[in-house]
Amino acid sequence: MTTFAALVFVRLLLAFSPIPDFLADNHQLTSPLTSFTRLNEGVFLLKNGFDPYAGELVRHSPAQLVIFSTILPPSKPLFHLIWTLVDALAAWSLSSVWSARNKQRNARREALIQASYLLNPYLVAPSLALSTSTLDNALCILTIYFASKGRPGKALLTLALLTQSSLYSGLLLFPISLLLRYGPESRLANPKAVSDWSKLLRYLAQYAAFMAALALWSTLVMGNLRWIKETWGATLTVPDLTPNVGLWWYFFTEMFDHFRNFFLMVFTALNIIGVVPLTLKFQHDPLYAVYLVIGNVAIFKSYQTMADPGLFLSFLSIFPEVWSYLRHPLPTVMWHLYAATLLPLFNNLWLGQGTGNSNFFYAATLVFGVANGAAFLDSVWAGLTVPYGEIKQDHSLIQI
Amino acid sequence: MSNSRQSDVVPPPPHQRILLVLIIVISRMLAQDGGVQFIKTKEAVVTKIWSPPCHGYEPFVRACSVSYYLFMLFVAWTPGGKNESKASSRTNQVLVIQTIGPFLYAHHVTGSITGYRTVKRLGIPDSNIILMLADDVSCNARNKFPATVYSNNRRSLDLYGENIEVDYRGYEVTVENFLRLLTGRVDPSVPRSKRLLTDERSNIFVYMTGHGGAEFLKFQDNEEISAFDIADAFEQMWQKKRYHEIFFMIDTCQANTMYSKFYSPNILATGSSEIGESSYSYVNDADIGVAVIDRYTHLVLSFLEGINKTSQATMQELRQFDAYDFNHMRSHAGIRTDLFARNPSEVLLTDFFGGVTQTEVVDLTTELSLTSDIASVSETNGTRMQPSSVRSFDHQWEKVERQAHLQAWQGWVGSMALCIMLVIGYLSFN
Repeated sequence: MTTFAALVFVRLLLAFSPIPDFLADNHQLTSPLTSFTRLNEGVFLLKNGFDPYAGELVRHSPAQLVIFSTILPPSKPLFHLIWTLVDALAAWSLSSVWSARNKQRNARREALIQASYLLNPYLVAPSLALSTSTLDNALCILTIYFASKGRPGKALLTLALLTQSSLYSGLLLFPISLLLRYGPESRLANPKAVSDWSKLLRYLAQYAAFMAALALWSTLVMGNLRWIKETWGATLTVPDLTPNVGLWWYFFTEMFDHFRNFFLMVFTALNIIGVVPLTLKFQHDPLYAVYLVIGNVAIFKSYQTMADPGLFLSFLSIFPEVWSYLRHPLPTVMWHLYAATLLPLFNNLWLGQGTGNSNFFYAATLVFGVANGAAFLDSVWAGLTVPYGEIKQDHSLIQI
Repeated sequence: MSNSRQSDVVPPPPHQRILLVLIIVISRMLAQDGGVQFIKTKEAVVTKIWSPPCHGYEPFVRACSVSYYLFMLFVAWTPGGKNESKASSRTNQVLVIQTIGPFLYAHHVTGSITGYRTVKRLGIPDSNIILMLADDVSCNARNKFPATVYSNNRRSLDLYGENIEVDYRGYEVTVENFLRLLTGRVDPSVPRSKRLLTDERSNIFVYMTGHGGAEFLKFQDNEEISAFDIADAFEQMWQKKRYHEIFFMIDTCQANTMYSKFYSPNILATGSSEIGESSYSYVNDADIGVAVIDRYTHLVLSFLEGINKTSQATMQELRQFDAYDFNHMRSHAGIRTDLFARNPSEVLLTDFFGGVTQTEVVDLTTELSLTSDIASVSETNGTRMQPSSVRSFDHQWEKVERQAHLQAWQGWVGSMALCIMLVIGYLSFN
């Protein structure tokens, strides 16, 4: 507990230091969907009676716009405080998920998990830049927390709220449903097929009802249906090609219009196509499936920021049984270090000094993608090899 | 030129032939151009002599024989004519095209630039003039007085001066560019200053000068435009309503053949010499070494020196003047009026050469107040403003303001509703 307080204090110190001024509007930390500047713009427009979705600038969800235009006005000190508290809530939820998984409380391990979330640079930097991806991550972890505690209503309501601002998180429905059904206990070592798929449709219906209610509320508040096209539509059709650390933007800048729809389908499919196989493969341990789906989406989502892989990496801290089965943790860490060095460097070369061009930055994002991919694939492998225990010397594990 | 053109050229009598050969040979030997080609065979010499005289010849020879004029087209700005509507915004455009490069043909350039100055003096702005010069005579290495262009051998007035705007220079002067300019089929990247921005009320004065022959005009040293091409271009312009009237003036050898093929309406054409005749230069400058202006252009422009913007001088008076007098010109200048709707005696020179705008003074006093009943306009001439449009604007503004309040109110209601929804959801659902 004291560690947690200390961590939160450190985060508060960071938030109120001059560091955030350097990180604001950094397009590696924020995207058009999560940018604080655009949120300010949307709040201003809403307050002055204009439709914030009339132009193509504001991509935040109506819930965020409405809350921040009335209850929580966007002043920087207030936002830094809120963001730090939200991060603290997320860290606490993550450690609670672990304790739900572990059935035993281990204060040291919980402190470690909270530290891995609160001190993860991939998560600290976007939070200091006041990117709303912090809120999305917190809602994601809260969903998992409620699901781990066996609270379907709360979990699905949180998931519906999360889907309002981050469309791809709706893909978590399938693994979350399994998690609700079968609990978060670690069954990686004993994979057994799931026998009963009965209650899942009920969860789907509940989720759909929550989504409909929130969509109805959004439409009523905004007065028209434009928000769908500007928020979810932007996620799916990528009209705004602002550079970010993801894989989509460069590809779509250089693509001919003739092929645009095809590649939109391909890139979206890369997200969707992993959900069912991963969930079915890890049906014995749905929490791990949730973790892997988060990793899959984090690599291939349309407006990726550093916060998405950050969540994935911090999430690994609640699966210690898997760590010894990771095949290449060191290269993964090195790749991440490499990418984390190159990304700001090439960004500065391209946009700061002007001696580089966008290819430099795109190469760095590719390295980042490789690093994330390595982490993801290694997690998949480790999760699959846990049942086989330690490999004896001169033996190796192969897949037929 | 190809041998087929020989039939158009009438060979001089034998004694003149020998004299011409001597003159040509000697001048070529003395030529600074170094383009002397001693033709070896008799046929070749004969070919050289008898080929149309619009090829590069030394100024010495030219003074004896031919001067080549390609007139640039000047598009003239006409003031509101008597028959025009009050609101005529007739644009007068001037195209001045000089088509041959080498310094040798400085007299073309001089003629063009003199014409350019005249037309500017008479009121046409640079935005309405397109000047195409195939060579930069003023900065040519052979120009002993760099950055200057003189039109007489006393070098009394530098025409190049401080304020000249050449739109197409050097190698940009090509047949393709000229035709694209006329027809308007230019690349989107071509700037406005290089486009012919005319409409169906524009009077265009086109002046071309250079080396020409029977129904052709030479561009640079490697291409030519035919009378048919220009006629078709003018027809395209007519179809696309790109001109109201064209005054076409051309100063080359056998210039009148160039306008013989026009078939579009409202074209008044004039040239400096008949078929089989050459056009001559006017005077040489011994220091520069080339002729400095052509006869026809010089005489026309001398006449224009005498008029100003308010002149009521007509085309008919131009015809009667020295420019159309064989004794001055040594060639028969011609005029073609059958395509032109008006009588030349009714056509003012300033209809094409001048840029006089018409202004109308209206006595109008208006009081504007920012209330709904805004149209309390008192005037002697002019229309009365409609107040109903202003009233509806006020209503629209009120509607926007009311909507703004509604949205802000919705904001608080919406956020409260969301919070209540979430609280109820979290508390009631398990």
